[in-house]
Amino acid sequence: MQRWPAAARYGGALAGVALVTAVIGQVPGGARIANVSMLYLAAVLFSALYLGRGPAVLAAFTSFLSFNWFFVEPVHRVTVADPADLVSLLLFLLTAVVTGQLAADQRARAQQAREREREALVLYDIVRLMAEQPLAEALHAVADRLRRELGLEGAAIEVDELAGAPLRTAAGGDRAQRLLEQPARAARFVIGGGHTPTDGRSATPGRWVRVMPPSQTGRRDVEGRLYVAALTRGERRRGQLLLLRPSSATAFSSSEDRLITASAGQLALAIEREELRRRATESEVLRRADDAKRTLLHAVSHDLRTPLSSIIAGATSLRQRDVEWSDREREEFLEGIEGEARRLDRIVGNLLSVSRIESGSLRPTKEWHDLGALVDDVVERERARGHPVRVTCPAALPALHIDYVEIDQALSNLIENAAGYAPAGTDVEVDVRSRTGAVEVRVSDRGPGVPADARDRVFEPFERADGGRRTGTGLGLTVAKRFVQAHGGDIRVEERDGGGATFVLTLPASE
Amino acid sequence: MSAREAAASILVVDDEPAIRRALGTNLRAHGFSVDTASTAQEALERYERAHPDLIVLDLGLPDLDGAEVIRRVRAQGTTPIIVLSVRDAEPDKVAALDAGADDYVTKPFGADELLARVRAALRRLAGPNAGPEGVFVAGDLRVDPRRRAVTVRGTPVHLTPTEYELLKVFIRYPERVLTDRMLLEAVWGRDYSSESHYLHVYVARLRKKLRADDRSAGPIATEPGVGYRFRTDY
Repeated sequence: MQRWPAAARYGGALAGVALVTAVIGQVPGGARIANVSMLYLAAVLFSALYLGRGPAVLAAFTSFLSFNWFFVEPVHRVTVADPADLVSLLLFLLTAVVTGQLAADQRARAQQAREREREALVLYDIVRLMAEQPLAEALHAVADRLRRELGLEGAAIEVDELAGAPLRTAAGGDRAQRLLEQPARAARFVIGGGHTPTDGRSATPGRWVRVMPPSQTGRRDVEGRLYVAALTRGERRRGQLLLLRPSSATAFSSSEDRLITASAGQLALAIEREELRRRATESEVLRRADDAKRTLLHAVSHDLRTPLSSIIAGATSLRQRDVEWSDREREEFLEGIEGEARRLDRIVGNLLSVSRIESGSLRPTKEWHDLGALVDDVVERERARGHPVRVTCPAALPALHIDYVEIDQALSNLIENAAGYAPAGTDVEVDVRSRTGAVEVRVSDRGPGVPADARDRVFEPFERADGGRRTGTGLGLTVAKRFVQAHGGDIRVEERDGGGATFVLTLPASE
Repeated sequence: MSAREAAASILVVDDEPAIRRALGTNLRAHGFSVDTASTAQEALERYERAHPDLIVLDLGLPDLDGAEVIRRVRAQGTTPIIVLSVRDAEPDKVAALDAGADDYVTKPFGADELLARVRAALRRLAGPNAGPEGVFVAGDLRVDPRRRAVTVRGTPVHLTPTEYELLKVFIRYPERVLTDRMLLEAVWGRDYSSESHYLHVYVARLRKKLRADDRSAGPIATEPGVGYRFRTDY
């Protein structure tokens, strides 16, 4: 109704009055003044409610004139015979104008409320859509929502910079996409706060101003009308919202203008929030990496100090002058110093392995080896270190394509770990099994076992299932697992029947 | 003090076998009798059985945190505890000392430093009346906690472990009235705080052993209805 051209609306008002006049004329015996005025009033109210304020005023006056001309004595004269009729006529005019205005106000308010509701709904939708991730998809959804809401040919959102790169999304058909991408052939309008207009007129807030790009000057063959609203927060421009309409389109209504301005504001806010969120995530990631490094350093210094304490305690004891050490005592101290120094060496070796693994410079030198011989080697060495080990190994095992040194270290670390937890008087059991396409080495102890929630954690550097024991290096399981993984295998930990833990080392075997 | 003849007993608690061995050898060579434990559970059992004169305790034990061991020992007695730990942060030290530890040595440590701290802790055991040598002297009585040696008028006196524990509490708080309850808790632990007849039996025996002859009153005075007082001017 608001969209109807003014001529149609005023014509409608006149038609209404004419219709009422015709109806009253058809009533046999004429009509009494009271009824006639009521019918005309209906025409005025109709005009006020459906056609607007101006048509209502027009309807009031034409009703007044028609009433006078057709139904008040003397008929077909402007003059009025009876003064009482004159009073009635004037009262009718007053009533018609006033009720017409009241009804028109009512209508305008209802219209406004509808517009506000629509604006609020669209804005709410935009806020909701912007909460989605990732941002590019959210922006596309918003562009599409605006396109449909405003009946546009196409809509695009351009973000100048987010996380170091521009971001652009467009909704609409192929032609719209092309025009939005290269808008040289579209008439360009900006809304307040957008580009400085080139024709000298200043852009008042909330009003569109036509901008003539130099290339377009004098051209008549524009293919569309492009409306550009800048996305700004405070002083900072974050991007722009592009709306494309056919060249035949009329101007946006003031309600639509408000909607576009508010949407642009919401978009700018959402982009800013996204940027802040990304920055917060970045610093969180950095903080965590920092934490991990600190924990590692703390654990390393802690684990290095333990053998160092024994070494220093032994060495300072030997240097004491107030005691005459017997050969046996001297031997005991030296044994302790040597053992702990070797342990320190293993810790440093594991640390180096971990750093090689972490830096990605792990390059296994693979050759064909007999796993049975490797297991024998490792077990022999561990027994020499004082760890009782029992082995079950089938006679025939497939040869494996492995780096001997790395798998040797992985298995040694597993046995040492098990020996550290095995109660005195119990053996560490090593059980080698051939499976289809793989070989399993199971290392079991009768220690406290590994609780289910710690089974992944024990392979992290310096993590221990019991949190307290310190006889290992804190890196053995980490190194073992990474070495085996570099061979396409894995190590997992299981609960052992009858108590204890079983570490299962699996290596792929080609038949 | 000549080495290899004194007999103050020290309990070394550490889960590192190398440390236990090194400390054991060293402390024994310096004349202490040494017992070792590798877990908190074992440490508490040894403590209750043997009542050592001093405990050297590592905080990172596999079964219980060392601080908990300190609290449990403190619930039973005043045995000095020297903490030995790789934890060198201030809050760790504060927590251990507040739990009842007497001293805190960070690993790695030198043997001389630890020995000096052991000597200092044993000296404090001789109470406020001890001389610079850490020997308690009052009247006829002479107590050297470092050597676990007790003499009356120069004659060595043989005390059972419980009698010696009781004497240690007395010389730590000379001239102070100690209630039955305080003495029972310090020597037998909180569970025995109402078993006064135990105390009376042991006090009677100790009193007898600390008297030079039947005419001497001895240092242990009865405070009727309250408890006992250890006199230094008898």
